[in-house]
Amino acid sequence: MNILSVQELKKSFGKFDAVKGVSFSIEKGESFSLLGPNGAGKSTIINMITGLFPPSSGEIQINGIDVIKNAKQAQKIIGVVPQEIALYETLSAKENLKFWGRMYDLSGKELEKSVDGVLEIIGLTDRAKDKVSTFSGGMKRRVNIGAAILHQPEVLIMDEPTVGIDPQSRNHILETVKRLNNEGMTIIYTSHYMEEVEYLCERIGIIDHGELIACGTLKELRETIGDRSRIVLTLDRGTSVDILNVGKGKFPEKDIQLQDNKLMLFHKEPQLILSDLIQLVTNSGTRVTSVEIIEPNLESVFLHLTGRSLRD
Amino acid sequence: MTFWWLAWKDLLIIIRDKKALLTLIAMPLLLISILGAAFGDIMGGEEDVTIKKFDLGIVNLDKGPLGGILSDEVFNKELSDQIKVTYYQEKDLVEKINNHKLSIGIVIDEDFTETVTTGKEAKVKVYTVPDPGIKSIIVTTVIEQFAQMIPLEAMANGAQPVQGEIQETSSSDELNQSLLQETTVNPDTETVGSFQYYAAAMGVMFLLMTAVQGVSTMILEKEQEVYKRLLLSNLTYLEYLLGKMLGLFIICLTQAFFIILGTKLLFGVDWGKSVAGIIIMTFAFVVSTCGLGVLAGSFFKTEKAFGVAGMLGTQIFAALGGSMVPIYVLPDAFVAAAKVLPNSLALQTYLDLMTGSSLVDIIPAISSAIALGGIFFVLGLIRLSSERRRKYA
Repeated sequence: MNILSVQELKKSFGKFDAVKGVSFSIEKGESFSLLGPNGAGKSTIINMITGLFPPSSGEIQINGIDVIKNAKQAQKIIGVVPQEIALYETLSAKENLKFWGRMYDLSGKELEKSVDGVLEIIGLTDRAKDKVSTFSGGMKRRVNIGAAILHQPEVLIMDEPTVGIDPQSRNHILETVKRLNNEGMTIIYTSHYMEEVEYLCERIGIIDHGELIACGTLKELRETIGDRSRIVLTLDRGTSVDILNVGKGKFPEKDIQLQDNKLMLFHKEPQLILSDLIQLVTNSGTRVTSVEIIEPNLESVFLHLTGRSLRD
Repeated sequence: MTFWWLAWKDLLIIIRDKKALLTLIAMPLLLISILGAAFGDIMGGEEDVTIKKFDLGIVNLDKGPLGGILSDEVFNKELSDQIKVTYYQEKDLVEKINNHKLSIGIVIDEDFTETVTTGKEAKVKVYTVPDPGIKSIIVTTVIEQFAQMIPLEAMANGAQPVQGEIQETSSSDELNQSLLQETTVNPDTETVGSFQYYAAAMGVMFLLMTAVQGVSTMILEKEQEVYKRLLLSNLTYLEYLLGKMLGLFIICLTQAFFIILGTKLLFGVDWGKSVAGIIIMTFAFVVSTCGLGVLAGSFFKTEKAFGVAGMLGTQIFAALGGSMVPIYVLPDAFVAAAKVLPNSLALQTYLDLMTGSSLVDIIPAISSAIALGGIFFVLGLIRLSSERRRKYA
């Protein structure tokens, strides 16, 4: 059963088309990721799904509720973790959570129970009375997540929730999200950290220039590149595009890419062709400074589909 | 009730900000005490001015009866509490003045009655020492008033002011009564002293500044991610604005309470007899100010832009509203027009209360202030909800 359905979603800001007809659906209890570089349109899609602003055209339904017509009703079953910290620094963690709980009409014992439960989940029970301003970036991120799950939403939407934090807090957040998903909460997770997405999400939608260029499970996406590894040769400075000619005839043209001074080749069995490739490059008068073989992953998929790196 | 929790959150943040609290409470009291003390001499009011009884030498040469009335009835009898009259020959009077044994004296000309009754220039010579102070002003004012009143009295009695036809009924008592009535407009009206004026003027200005500060915080919140999060919660635009206004309202009301009570207890400022009037007017003023603040908050997108406009706006409002220059020195038409500004309306109403007005007298002002606040609030709400549509349509 679909809990979220997005159909032909479009959004224009003046003449700029930020989202160009995106469609996808998410099943109840699923963990889904929107993956794409900065400016791809992820946050615009998220803002429309949460009812923060309406699309130029298209349809969004959450649990059968038309978000465009009944944004407030839909928002009751959504929890949103914004990219930036959305907390009051001079209030304590508990005061913040209580405040946000009240904004979702929680009160009395229900509120107390919910706040205590969330403090437990985010691992900050012992720091509950401390002001948020005294917290590390990672701890603030955890409270930021806590504020979104107080009302036990059916869908938790997280917009890059681990930006700029230490590995320990990052792991804690990922574990928390995994746990919530295992308990039945639907997760929509945007990020440009592939390893997080690979770890957390069952299905992934890749967004670029406002379009959904691929959508599926990690396995399905890997298959779009034929489950091939990526050989990356770092070349001496001053490399020209002529270097691409060295592989012509020997490798399919679409499988070879040059980014700055990195020559990349997608191949199912990289070990078999590695020495030939190095030989060809060296014979052309270009020096190879390093060699890397990368197993098929989302970065490779994105690179293969767009010709650009996720962090470009 | 979500709006109440939004207001509560704002209050909690303010309460924990010691610097903000100090600015809210201590600063107005400090400024009022400085300005009140500095401008005390200009404003007058509660500071008593005592005029000591002084000697007046009189030479009455008038052939008619008015010289005698002026010297005997007016100066010698009616003003006997202020003036001690001694009659002289002109030569002796001049000598006394020259020797500084007498500081002021008058010589009533022999044609005094004739000139006064025919409306011509009355002839009275005033002799004084080089610096007679206020004595000279008092004496000349009494003579001028007397000279002006005689023809009017005669006309009022249907008689032509002709020499020698002063009616017997124009007694000196009646004349002096008329003089007193000229100078006393309303015997029940109290005067407003410097501390009183600046307590009200500075109080109003600080409340305006507090509203601006509150709005600044509101705009800053709008720029931050918390605002987006608020919009994604169950909070509606109406509740958001209500919450913001309520928070600001409580803060302003608390400040007003401290200013009024503080100035009363510390400086003995008399805010008038109508306690209910002061409370309700303060409530109404805070409503109008907060409404204006919320309206401004809905228009500005960045705190930086508002910071400049807010500062400038407060100064202009304060200047036009009488917080910087006493409104008494401004033209009446200007003062009346300035009542459209919440702070000006409030200040003028506080001054009315201080001069003895009752709650009933200020009901129009209270109604206007609350209506203004309501209009500002509705405009702010329309603006805020349409902002989303216009921004993202």
